[in-house]
Amino acid sequence: MIKYHPTDQLIEQFAGGLLTPALSVIVATHIDLCPRCQQVAHDAEQLLAEQVMHTTPNKLPPELNQQFNAMLEQILATPAPSTIIQPPYHENLHLNGKVFNLPATLARQYHRIGEWSRVPGKMLKAPLHLGSNECINLIYMDHGSRVPEHTHKGNEITLVINGVFNDEQDEYKDGDFVLLSQQHTHQPETRDEDCLTLATLDAPLHFTSGIARLLNPFSSLFFK
Amino acid sequence: MHALHHQHGTGQMTTRPIEAQASKTAEHLAALLAKVAANQCRGAFSELFQYFAPRLQAYAANKFGNQQLAADLVQETMTNVWLKAHLFHADRGSASTWVFTIARNTGFDYLRKNKHRLTDLSADELWPILAETNDSLNDSAHNHSALDDKLLMEQISSYYKQLPDSQRIVIELIYIEGLSQQEVSDSLNVPLGTVKSRTRLGLQKLREMIDHD
Ligand SMILES: [Zn+2]
Repeated sequence: MIKYHPTDQLIEQFAGGLLTPALSVIVATHIDLCPRCQQVAHDAEQLLAEQVMHTTPNKLPPELNQQFNAMLEQILATPAPSTIIQPPYHENLHLNGKVFNLPATLARQYHRIGEWSRVPGKMLKAPLHLGSNECINLIYMDHGSRVPEHTHKGNEITLVINGVFNDEQDEYKDGDFVLLSQQHTHQPETRDEDCLTLATLDAPLHFTSGIARLLNPFSSLFFK
Repeated sequence: MHALHHQHGTGQMTTRPIEAQASKTAEHLAALLAKVAANQCRGAFSELFQYFAPRLQAYAANKFGNQQLAADLVQETMTNVWLKAHLFHADRGSASTWVFTIARNTGFDYLRKNKHRLTDLSADELWPILAETNDSLNDSAHNHSALDDKLLMEQISSYYKQLPDSQRIVIELIYIEGLSQQEVSDSLNVPLGTVKSRTRLGLQKLREMIDHD
């Protein structure tokens, strides 16, 4: 059972297309793994659609009315595309002698996974290149890994894709969406099992300023 | 208990007309989409356009603060509705929700299109609602061909049993076990040329039997 979920508010923002690429990917990946949040996202889409569609719009100004008439003609004259392009999809991730089954969202992002590099403490990381300036990484912790104790100077979201990791508070398993605020001091570690996670900074919404680069040692370890 | 039931009943009576109307609209919109999907009905699409375009315009203008960009979103969204109506599944949600999600995807991409980079994450990768998915392929061509293959195989298997042993074994190994002619030649210890001619004769005989039926 998944214990930790994104807030309903975050899922609503996702459903409205309001989150940044990195946050969207991490929420979408959780939703792939979580029937509960699939339902929340589905309901949110329906609610948003009702808000948009079930209002009677103001009477159109004449020039827009004309534009719409021309638009309708243009659309009706659009020929059907002759080729169907299948987006890339690759669900097997080979890592450390194991094969991980990627959730659908990540399988569609396979071609954006950058190079794997070693991180001290029996860990590997690879960035996800989304074309935004955000930091989002796949992080693999071998069994018996330990991250040095640290505090966050911002919020960090970690999604467990496969495996288990622990900190002082709890144990986190497949699908758990763990939000760590700057108040938390924590020391993530793996024990008998290894763990593949997707981690990002809590990024601001669209139309706001870029993400401040975190300065503490942990973030420079993962997010650079 | 009885009284409670009764109250509930009258409550339903007063709300029903509105609900019925709303659901009729939803059903009507879904029916229009089905008409567009089935035979590219221009009348049905025009009605959908009249309904959705002004609403999407208001949504997008509010989102972008720009009427022209909003009109672009309306055009792109409604073009997809026109061309991809067959990807709408009434059992997964309302027509309004489907159209909204197309508009949402279009808007998501507009927010990063200024950069014009193909390397950017696109909305289709998060919400592949317009991809000709396995689902839509399964619904039509894919399933049919799988089914046809199965029927054909059943039909053929009743025939190939009537072939002379030497031909039947070769056909079996190649078309059922999936061996190459060379592999058949090796495993039966028969020259490759013989395998080829037995295959050719066997297929010829099969075709005759099927044609005769
Ligand atoms: Zn969830």
